[in-house]
Amino acid sequence: MTAPALRLRQISKRYGATTALDRVDLEVYPGEVLGLVGDNGAGKSTLLQVASGAHRPTAGELCVQGRPVAFGSPRAAAAAGIHMVYQDLALVPTQDVGTNLYLGDEPLRGGPLRYLGVLDKRRMRREADQALARLGVRLGPTSRPVELLSAGQRQVVALARAAVRVMAAGHGVLLLDEPTAALGPEQSRQVRQLITRLAGQGVAVVVVTHDLPLCFAVTHRVAVLHRGRKVADLPTAETDLDAVVGWITGARPHQP
Amino acid sequence: MTAALLFARDRGIVVLWGLLILLMWALGGSSFASYDNAVLILNAAAVTAVFAAGIAIGALAGVLDLSIPGTAALAGVVCARQLVDGRGAVAGIAAGLAVGVLAGLVNGLLAERGLNPLVVTIGTLSVSSGLALVVTGGLPVSGFTDLEFLGTGRPLDIPAPVYVMLAVYATGWLCLTQTRLGLRLTAVGGNAEAARRCGVPSSRYRVIGFAGAGLCAALGGILTAATVAQADAVVSTGVLFDALTAVALGGVALSGGRGSLPRVLVGALVVATIANGLLIRDVPPYWTTVATGALLIAAIAADRALSVALTRRTLEVPR
Ligand SMILES: Nc1ncnc2c1ncn2[C@@H]1O[C@H](COP(=O)(O)OP(=O)(O)O)[C@@H](O)[C@H]1O
Ligand SMILES: [Mg+2]
Repeated sequence: MTAPALRLRQISKRYGATTALDRVDLEVYPGEVLGLVGDNGAGKSTLLQVASGAHRPTAGELCVQGRPVAFGSPRAAAAAGIHMVYQDLALVPTQDVGTNLYLGDEPLRGGPLRYLGVLDKRRMRREADQALARLGVRLGPTSRPVELLSAGQRQVVALARAAVRVMAAGHGVLLLDEPTAALGPEQSRQVRQLITRLAGQGVAVVVVTHDLPLCFAVTHRVAVLHRGRKVADLPTAETDLDAVVGWITGARPHQP
Repeated sequence: MTAALLFARDRGIVVLWGLLILLMWALGGSSFASYDNAVLILNAAAVTAVFAAGIAIGALAGVLDLSIPGTAALAGVVCARQLVDGRGAVAGIAAGLAVGVLAGLVNGLLAERGLNPLVVTIGTLSVSSGLALVVTGGLPVSGFTDLEFLGTGRPLDIPAPVYVMLAVYATGWLCLTQTRLGLRLTAVGGNAEAARRCGVPSSRYRVIGFAGAGLCAALGGILTAATVAQADAVVSTGVLFDALTAVALGGVALSGGRGSLPRVLVGALVVATIANGLLIRDVPPYWTTVATGALLIAAIAADRALSVALTRRTLEVPR
């Protein structure tokens, strides 16, 4: 098998006296959707923050495609192909959808205009439309400012933005923290499809969620965190809701 | 309904100006609605508009620069000093503009160190107006003619400051809407943290916002000196209020990220039209000050009401 797109080895994270993560091993492969579940305070967000370069682990090692890495910042992680979709979305509300998709990586006009930093707006709009179509996302005109979108549509934009960047590189890891928390059923379905489609294109996806039906619908594998330790990690097809709930609450013993 | 709210927010100022012109026309008759008076209004708007462009560029980047009158005074007297010393118009203008950029950089670097930007710019307002007095020794600098082409010249029978105003707005508008610099500047004003996570160095762009504000302030100061052929270190805060009003009328969100320069220009024209109309009706000029202040507050109130209504609609109606 190919190397994992992202691998955590014996990762620990302590905040003073609290141990948020305790020697966690985790891997996710290209094209795989990994569900990460656990009770509040189990360490899920901390794990994503460590993987996305927002926090440094206290101990342990991260590997991207088999190579050990150490991220000093989210930007460094993004450069290595690891993109986090933040719970607070982090979009620019006053800018349109296209701009939000390409901010920081804007297409410029060719020739001498390039040196003046003149934008190629037509290309930006066209590529945004194409990318959204490829992701199967319908948002209406990409020239609409994000502040005029509903909460669900904004979530879709945030996801699409990370997806566009991952797809531009051809490989990568998408980290999603509660992607459907604020969504109605229709948008929830769009996000679900988006995740499946991205995985189909070779992206590795880690999705943290409380929404167990979503988890069972889209993931290939589930990992359960309990008080900072990984207590289960197995193919979704080989487990069921009762077992996962048991691991989440701690009622069920550590997976053998 | 959303479309109507958007129209009011984005085009309302143009409608308002149209109504205002009709009103003044009805009140002032032919002394208002004449070519000469239109040129007079444009000329009166020019300096305000240049200052307003500075405030707007800063506000788009999410920074509010109140030091603009001080920067303008200092740039004006520095420029005038160069002229009196016989260094010529190019050197004088360049020195004045450099003062403006420098003042903006100082504001920006201080604010990015975590100091409250409003208080920083009030501080530098005091510093730069004091420095302007130091440069002049308290007396206005006069006796130069090199700036006549900028101040009292009338190519094609239109006053030179009007050309300067148009050039500033055309350049600024192109920069803001067509270049990466402008896009990032407004994105940082809209949500600095989001821009930073996309790899845009937010604090650098905020410093650029301050520098742009300082540059426009300096140009306004030089233009003022050119129109009266004299540079005075006495700071006029009236221009700040007029410019702020124009910016607010133009629908620039003072919280950053949203606004367009052409609308700010219309805002400046509204301010100038009101002043002109009141003057024609022989209303004492003090009332212009009152009207400008009231207009400023009305403008931000209207903008807020429209924004709240828009947000409510987008959150309530899932599409
Ligand atoms: N920045 C922090 N400082 C101190 N403690 C933290 C911090 N972030 C998380 N924790 C603690 O680490 C544990 C795991 O938190 P978190 O990763 O947010 O859990 P989850 O996302 O699974 O709900 C909790 O006990 C939490 O209080
Ligand atoms: Mg969490």
